[in-house]
Amino acid sequence: MSHWQRMWLFAAWVGAIVALGWVVERNLVVGTDLRLFMPSPRTPEERLVLEEIGEGPASRMLLLAIGGGSPEAAADTSQALAAALAEDPHFRWVANGDSGTNVFPDELLAYRYLLAPTLDHTALDASYLSDQLRERLRDLSSPAAGMLEPWLPRDPTLELLELAETWQPARQPQLLNDVWFDGAGEQALLAVETVAAGFDPQAQREAADGLRAAFESARTDPSLQLTVSGPGAFSVLMKERTQGEAQWLGALATAGMVILLLVAYRSLPLLVLGLLPLATAGLAGLAAVSVVSGTVHGITLAFGFTLIGVAQDYPMHLFSHQHGGLDPRANARALWPTLATGVASTCIAYLAFLFSGVRGLAQLSVFTVVGLAVAGLTTRFMLPPLIPAGGRDAGDSLMLGQLWHRMASLPRPLWLGVAIAAVSLAVLVFSPRPLWQDELGGLTPVPRALIEQDAALRRELGAPDVRHLLVIEGADAQDVLERAGTVAAQLDELVASGALAGYDHAARYLPPVSVQERRRAALPDNRELQQSLDAAVAGTPFRPGLFAPFLADVERARSLPALGPQDLAGTPLEARVGGLLLQRDGHWTGLVTLTGLADVAALRRIVGAQPDVTLLDLKQASEDLVAHQRLRILWCLAVSAVLLVAVVLFALRSLVRAQRVLAPMALTTLVVLAVLHGAGVSLNLFHLIALVLAAGLGLDYALFFERAADEPAEQRRTLHAVLVCSLSTLLVFALLATSSLPVLRAIGVTVAAGVVCNFVLALLLTRPRLDS
Amino acid sequence: MVAGELEHRDDGALIRRVQQPYRETTTLLGENVTVERDGSRPRRFSLDRAPELRGMLNSFGAMLKGDRATLEQHFEIASSESGNAWHIDLVPRGDRLRARLARVRVDGHANRANCMTMEEPDGDATVMLIGVADRTKLPSPMEREQLQSWCVRAGAR
Repeated sequence: MSHWQRMWLFAAWVGAIVALGWVVERNLVVGTDLRLFMPSPRTPEERLVLEEIGEGPASRMLLLAIGGGSPEAAADTSQALAAALAEDPHFRWVANGDSGTNVFPDELLAYRYLLAPTLDHTALDASYLSDQLRERLRDLSSPAAGMLEPWLPRDPTLELLELAETWQPARQPQLLNDVWFDGAGEQALLAVETVAAGFDPQAQREAADGLRAAFESARTDPSLQLTVSGPGAFSVLMKERTQGEAQWLGALATAGMVILLLVAYRSLPLLVLGLLPLATAGLAGLAAVSVVSGTVHGITLAFGFTLIGVAQDYPMHLFSHQHGGLDPRANARALWPTLATGVASTCIAYLAFLFSGVRGLAQLSVFTVVGLAVAGLTTRFMLPPLIPAGGRDAGDSLMLGQLWHRMASLPRPLWLGVAIAAVSLAVLVFSPRPLWQDELGGLTPVPRALIEQDAALRRELGAPDVRHLLVIEGADAQDVLERAGTVAAQLDELVASGALAGYDHAARYLPPVSVQERRRAALPDNRELQQSLDAAVAGTPFRPGLFAPFLADVERARSLPALGPQDLAGTPLEARVGGLLLQRDGHWTGLVTLTGLADVAALRRIVGAQPDVTLLDLKQASEDLVAHQRLRILWCLAVSAVLLVAVVLFALRSLVRAQRVLAPMALTTLVVLAVLHGAGVSLNLFHLIALVLAAGLGLDYALFFERAADEPAEQRRTLHAVLVCSLSTLLVFALLATSSLPVLRAIGVTVAAGVVCNFVLALLLTRPRLDS
Repeated sequence: MVAGELEHRDDGALIRRVQQPYRETTTLLGENVTVERDGSRPRRFSLDRAPELRGMLNSFGAMLKGDRATLEQHFEIASSESGNAWHIDLVPRGDRLRARLARVRVDGHANRANCMTMEEPDGDATVMLIGVADRTKLPSPMEREQLQSWCVRAGAR
């Protein structure tokens, strides 16, 4: 092929990559919801667990603290911030303790008699009104007069205040300057609920930005600081730390790779050509995922490119085996059986994740399988015509020759394989530690200091428990609200006995229709109320007729239809009730959030006696889910391991050769598992993926070692290829292993250990006899 | 019409204790007010919502101590006397307070203060009669005019 033809082909390929990149970029929707990487639910209960973990009121709640300045300034800022956030579309509701009556829209004011519990234990008769008016007179000569006076004509029984107090959280922090403060009286506290799900870092980031901006303009004193805590804040933090560190390590690894490749091949054109299959593979993988699932998760993107980094090895095999007298196309043809076996078996291993039941893993699987296949095929068919003939021959290297001879004199301790397998199995079987990490949060652990800060804020604010939750199932909203009322009565006993600090549920804000109708029926008619009021006003300094607005409100309340969930749209109650009363598939679910649960057993007893009420232990349930999921993934991996053996057997057509090729990989997997376990590392999903990656690499090394021909120059070329491949992979993953983040470290340590172990074992067990 | 006592506690709290005709205790500490009355839940709110207390807090202590500088800091002061009778008008300087409290007027005679009147912008007023031990000497009927003239004359008893 002439120089010009090569240039044209190169330009066409680069053009195709650019075009594919443009198409992919235009259609690519990157998702960030971490739940994509959580197990997919099988039962309605599991679905609820996952929904609660990511979307429940507790997961959406952010706890805010404003401190660092004077308490007065903090209180003023709290008020201004609450007002700003109430208008911000990122937030469903905000609470700072201010029981201002403005929380209630004017058109719903008359509903106060149906919503507040007053009429459950008293009647609006002369004696009650008389008592109330006497209290109001005392209020008017107390310092609270200024605050209450404007309300008296409309609400002499202060029903609205009663309602506002009913709606305050069960266990409130102390009020200073009208807003919540911590016990020390230094930090103003707020609770907000985001519209975004807790595990959607992108949307949480937007909410966090809105929050910061609102705080900046609300703060009355530059020394004030805002602290934000909660699942959403953590997911933003962890995503950004992961991203930041991955980028930094990735840049370092790329620089290292370039240097390594330049040293190995001393050719700039080869360096550039080596990138083409990988770039094509990545884009093809992305395109495939886009077509299959519409969105590509950020983790698939980041992690997928790490996994198909293996594809960088394919051109290297080609380059290392290239020498003066050889047509690159013939070279590719000769290498192809070995290379294809490696590609096919790695693809089979990753195919296991397609059936894992985890949507994110299925995406990852599609991405990797398509990517690796494309990399293999382009290396075989498109790359060879571009490779300049001639160039440096790795077979000429004296150093490699000496190395090969030194290796030849190494023993071939077949007993070593058996011994290693035995020791590894012993470690795995006899160690008392649990092998697996079941916590969902274990994948992205939040720094200890932040968890403690969160727990402290949660205690101060009396925020709901993120672990336990009651779930009430019902045919319709009223059914659920009625049951919530029944459960609430029993929970009150737990609160009285100290087993529980408090709880929250939808019926607290929106009593069932039956209760509202009962209260409405208890309202006196206009004439009767007028008489009672006249009797009560007589003998007080209140002017007759002063309470006309009160009479009008009661009269209006008597004809109001009971308030239902649909009537709350656009009111501040909508968010409160909406988070606790959910409609799904023509089926209603009510949630009871719990605060300060001290006695789970007592709660379990109460719940056990209630039909259609479940105590959800999110931690336990999610751990069960993860464990179940892992079992499924392990089964998938087992099936793919069998397939993989079949492929290798078919390709090599010899039991002995297949055994030699597979032994290092299988042993390495055992050794790495044992080493990790022995070092006290609990294994998670990412370790599993990394093990598969390491196994795929090991298989490649073994295949090429096994293939090494008798001719010394060709042996040196093979050694060169395997050395460059393993060194470059080791470099990348050793860097990842230094990461401070558990996910990156898990992958880095596992693959780096796997590469070393695979190389050494392939050397000791797979290398062909060199006695000749 | 309630009777009781005021106490300045060592920790800086001002306690307004009503003893008759019912019992009620208002505790003012820092910016926070708590009103507790027998038979009902304590009510907590900030000083901002109780302008008369703010006025009292700012003026009372300073006047007792004769601390004119502190008083000047919070109020514009105007005073007049005729014979032994005198009165001091205190108009709040801060906009925030003035929106809730129009004026504090202290009436006195010779070397004692008789009344402290807190006037709100809407015309309402709270009158505190100071040091009345004998309730039979109170004005009657208890209306603004009678109270006013009582406050001016009281020292002549």
